[in-house]
Amino acid sequence: MADNKNIIYGLYNDEVDLLKAVKEANGDHLEIMDVYTPFPVHGLDPLLGLAESRLHIAGFVYGTIGFLTAFLGMSWIFTKDWPIIFGGKPHWAVPAFIPITFELTVLFASIGMVVTFYIINGLGPGVVNPTIDLRITDDKFCIAFDKSEVDSSKVESFLKRSGASEIHSKTI
Amino acid sequence: MKEEKLNYEFEGGTKMWLAIGMVIGVVCLGWTFMTDDAIHTRFWSNFLHNSVFFTGISLMAGFFMCVSITAWAGWYVVFKRVWEAISMFLIIGIPLMLIVGVGIMLHMHHLYHWGDPAMLEVGGDNYDKLIDGKSGFLNSKFYIGATVILGIIWVFLLNKVRSISIAEDKEGADGFNKHYSIRKYAAAFLPFAGFGSAALVWLWIMSIDPHWYSTMFAWYTGASWFVSMIAVTILVLQHLKGKGYYQNVSNEHFHDLGKFLFAFSIFWTYLWFSQYMLIWYANVGEETIYFKQRIDNYPILFYANLAINFVAPFFILMRNDTKRKMGSLGFTAGLILFGHWLDFFLMIKPGVLHTAHEVTGGGGHHGGESHAGGHAVAESGHDVAHAAGHGADSVFELGFTIPGLLELGTFIGFLCLFMYFILALLSKAPLTSNNDPYIDESLHHHT
Repeated sequence: MADNKNIIYGLYNDEVDLLKAVKEANGDHLEIMDVYTPFPVHGLDPLLGLAESRLHIAGFVYGTIGFLTAFLGMSWIFTKDWPIIFGGKPHWAVPAFIPITFELTVLFASIGMVVTFYIINGLGPGVVNPTIDLRITDDKFCIAFDKSEVDSSKVESFLKRSGASEIHSKTI
Repeated sequence: MKEEKLNYEFEGGTKMWLAIGMVIGVVCLGWTFMTDDAIHTRFWSNFLHNSVFFTGISLMAGFFMCVSITAWAGWYVVFKRVWEAISMFLIIGIPLMLIVGVGIMLHMHHLYHWGDPAMLEVGGDNYDKLIDGKSGFLNSKFYIGATVILGIIWVFLLNKVRSISIAEDKEGADGFNKHYSIRKYAAAFLPFAGFGSAALVWLWIMSIDPHWYSTMFAWYTGASWFVSMIAVTILVLQHLKGKGYYQNVSNEHFHDLGKFLFAFSIFWTYLWFSQYMLIWYANVGEETIYFKQRIDNYPILFYANLAINFVAPFFILMRNDTKRKMGSLGFTAGLILFGHWLDFFLMIKPGVLHTAHEVTGGGGHHGGESHAGGHAVAESGHDVAHAAGHGADSVFELGFTIPGLLELGTFIGFLCLFMYFILALLSKAPLTSNNDPYIDESLHHHT
């Protein structure tokens, strides 16, 4: 990888300690590179100043496309392209179209959102992402700093003070 | 934790407004009674409509509270008293339904066609084989008996849940013992509420159209009540919060209530549509008559029902922030409460009107047994006639095909009675139960 980073990071045992530490780091104006947790921690996003995800807007758009595809598609097929009478119903039998329209709306929205999520995050088959520490997928909470952006000694004393159980440096 | 007023004080100003509302309701009911036709169709159908609506809301509050207790949920505990208070309205709602039941027995009204004894005389002019076949279930004794027995069981169990919960607050939690006994009563309540409400919905509402039946009807009505209950909860909480109570009920709680409002509006639509589509697809005469009546004679209400109860909440509450903003959430809650009241209007009025028309002399098609099979066909020819049965050419007739001012006044009266009862109960106990084991989880609730 081209842009190797020298990072320093601390591991915490508990998400409450982690939240406190992130608040302190914000107060000390230490630029956090990223925070890694084994599960979504409530209240972490606003502390890190992350913008609200726009994935749901994309989902709405995909859903609308699915809705239109199904509804207009069936309307065209059953009135213009190949009109057949089913059970004495009119060709344009709207109630019968609704379940399929609903299903395609959900299908388009869900698949569209998954694909968008993968593309935005650079995920996909064959992609290798560096893991700072394997235990952050299990029971450790990690705050990582980029050494080129912060003063390492300051960070180290901050991590000690805020109750990190381990402190490591690494190049990724 | 913010400093908060724990004991609700039911102020004179609020009391006065609610009393004025109740007077409006009584005046409207009286006015309806005076200006009504000979058998008081409009009066009794309005009475039934509002009684069923608010009784169901209180039942659903008890049901959801007991579901939450049984499921070990914690988020709602901070405003648990509101659901306890709403569920207690059954003490008034069940007697209101009993008035309707006694009315059937004494032939004071003709809301239910099966209440007419002439339909059961074998060989008589008005003999109806289908109704005779259901007479073991559709009779006034069963109606009154089921309402009384289930009503007593419901009120007993919900009152236990509420009183132990208040005792937990006053006398201390006694370890977890009080909580465990609340949980036992809550669990016992669930089957009675689930199966019992279905049977009572058949009697109270579905039997207005006694030839028609739908296995989805209890679900559909239950969903309608449930959404209305969530809307009432939101409005009561917003009112109390505006008065300076419940400062610990945060946007997070409202967000979750908004999610329930959103999700159960969609659930209601799902049931509404499923019932409609199956009947439309199968196209069986006895079943389609129900929707044909409503689409032909109530076109605006029929589609407005979907627009208000599905399209509006779906698009308004879809976003995250509209569930958290008090304005948009309160507006949607109010709109939905009114929308589901219209839904019940549409369930009740067409059938009652049809029965009234037959009772007052329009019914000539009960020509003995041979007609039982062709009944639905005969009925469909009757539709237009019965819409105009009250003398108007237009399909829009106030109080029958669309709600008029008297209906709205009656609604306001019942709503104020309902609110008065809830607020009076809320003033009897501290608003937040600080000894509930889940109170901390609820205070720190985060969606």
